[in-house]
Amino acid sequence: MKKKIKCPNCMTIHIVKGVPNQQINVKCPSCGNIGNFTFEGNISKQSIHSNKMVVLRNVSKRYKQLLALNNVSFEINRGEVFGYIGPNGAGKTTTIKIMIDLISKNSGEVYINGISIPEGKNKVHGLIGYLPQDVGFQKWRTVDHALMTFGRLSGLDKNTTSKKINEILNWMNLGHIRHKKIIKLSGGMVQKIGLAQALLHNPKLLILDEPLAGLDPEGRFFIKELIKKLSSNGTTVFFSSHILSDVKDLATKICILDLGRIVKIGNFDELHSEFTSENHLEVVLSKNTGKWSKINNIKGVKKIIEKKPNEFIIHIDRSIDNDEIIHKIISEFLKNNCHIRSVNILTPSLDEIYQYYLTKGESKP
Amino acid sequence: MSLSLIFTDELKGFYKSKVMVALWIIFPIITILIHYLAPGVESETSFSVFTSIFISSIGGLIASLILTVQIIHEKDARAYDLFLIRPIKRWYLPVSKFFAVFICVTIAISIALSVGIAIDILQNEVIINFVLPSIIDSFVMTISVIAISSAFGVLLGIVSPSIIVGVLIVIFIGQYVEILPLIPVLIGIRNSVLFVTLLGIFITILLMIIAIIAFRRKQF
Repeated sequence: MKKKIKCPNCMTIHIVKGVPNQQINVKCPSCGNIGNFTFEGNISKQSIHSNKMVVLRNVSKRYKQLLALNNVSFEINRGEVFGYIGPNGAGKTTTIKIMIDLISKNSGEVYINGISIPEGKNKVHGLIGYLPQDVGFQKWRTVDHALMTFGRLSGLDKNTTSKKINEILNWMNLGHIRHKKIIKLSGGMVQKIGLAQALLHNPKLLILDEPLAGLDPEGRFFIKELIKKLSSNGTTVFFSSHILSDVKDLATKICILDLGRIVKIGNFDELHSEFTSENHLEVVLSKNTGKWSKINNIKGVKKIIEKKPNEFIIHIDRSIDNDEIIHKIISEFLKNNCHIRSVNILTPSLDEIYQYYLTKGESKP
Repeated sequence: MSLSLIFTDELKGFYKSKVMVALWIIFPIITILIHYLAPGVESETSFSVFTSIFISSIGGLIASLILTVQIIHEKDARAYDLFLIRPIKRWYLPVSKFFAVFICVTIAISIALSVGIAIDILQNEVIINFVLPSIIDSFVMTISVIAISSAFGVLLGIVSPSIIVGVLIVIFIGQYVEILPLIPVLIGIRNSVLFVTLLGIFITILLMIIAIIAFRRKQF
């Protein structure tokens, strides 16, 4: 019998097979927590996805000889910002197009807001805002004409659409181009108009395919702030990107895709924890007496590397309370009359973690 | 509502386009030019009938070309993605395009034909009551050709991989598709206009059904 269980750590609900009122020992697919879960009771098909905005199960897509997606599965909770990263040709855009039924899948299941795709696509399309990687408009349309059409096709009436266009364009500082032909606008402006059409009907799920590519710093900042704002208002955001620093800043869950397979999925801390078992502490001294060798004896300190004179990288075991170790390290420096200029905990960049997962651990320190 | 909105939009897009404005001007000009450059045509048939036949052959080709080129261009520019992720039926797009071009080209041809009739009347070379039935017949044939050409253009726009391939097919194969409804006339069937009309409707619907199926299956 299928039952739902709630992870006590991340509170995510999962579906498992089991016997009612019996405790089972499973690993949470979302946060990796292992423990005893108690059944929550019977479930209906609708409630399977009650807190999930997007569910993909074993989705595969083949283009002739090329397997573009190979059993891709993930879930996105409501209100989450889901960063989808991977090299060119990994299958990011293919995944997105299957989610919104622009292309068909060969196998697997897709649910948006609990509704199966493609069967219920017309119910789902009204909930989705989509910005394609290369947004295109019919060349004869003005900005106003295009937005008016898309707003009305999304179910808004004429007056509401007009007000929303005004509101969004003014908010984007694009009020002056409302009656210009889209073909005469710059690439960055067209991208913003693409974003405007995606936001007109207040979508519950915003899908952005490489939204930051090709934008100037101002445009990137604007879109990042927008994603943060929408997320705080409860909108679920799915975005693919090559700019990993932006993914790290924005995403509450990160999914790494390579050659059509999901390599890793989780939040940044989870990706980080598997990447390395150590934290790195950078200590810069303004006065170095050289009498700090006892730091090696502190429990949890794995090694000390003197990067430059007066600059040290201290490797610390992540499994031991790092606050306590750092306190002991600083105390030891001070006790030996060393003067500390700065102490920083070095976090590996998402680029490093990303490369690690793509090369399957070859670069693991 | 969505269908009428898309259709109205497409119609606005076409009638405001430079190609369509040119057609509305160029077709009547061609009519006048034919009158002055080939004055002998009136001896065999009325000028308006000749104009109708002549314009319909050009009009069919132009309708096919406009639709093929525009659909391929919009497909390549990914302009349909933003429509297809909205709660509309996929067939709305090709059907709207078909009717928009069909109506616009028909209006352009009607203007040209009116000019031909006006010339006939002004020159008093034929008795209008005498030639009116043949004008109507040729107009019906023209409409059939335009309808089939438009449907062929939609189909080709959807299935053709590139503009060059699409244009070449229109030029070399389109002309044979266009004359299909004229078979009853060519083999001398009585009441050929009725058959032309029925055949025109049948071939147009058939081509549009194939186009809609192709568009629904299209991977964007």
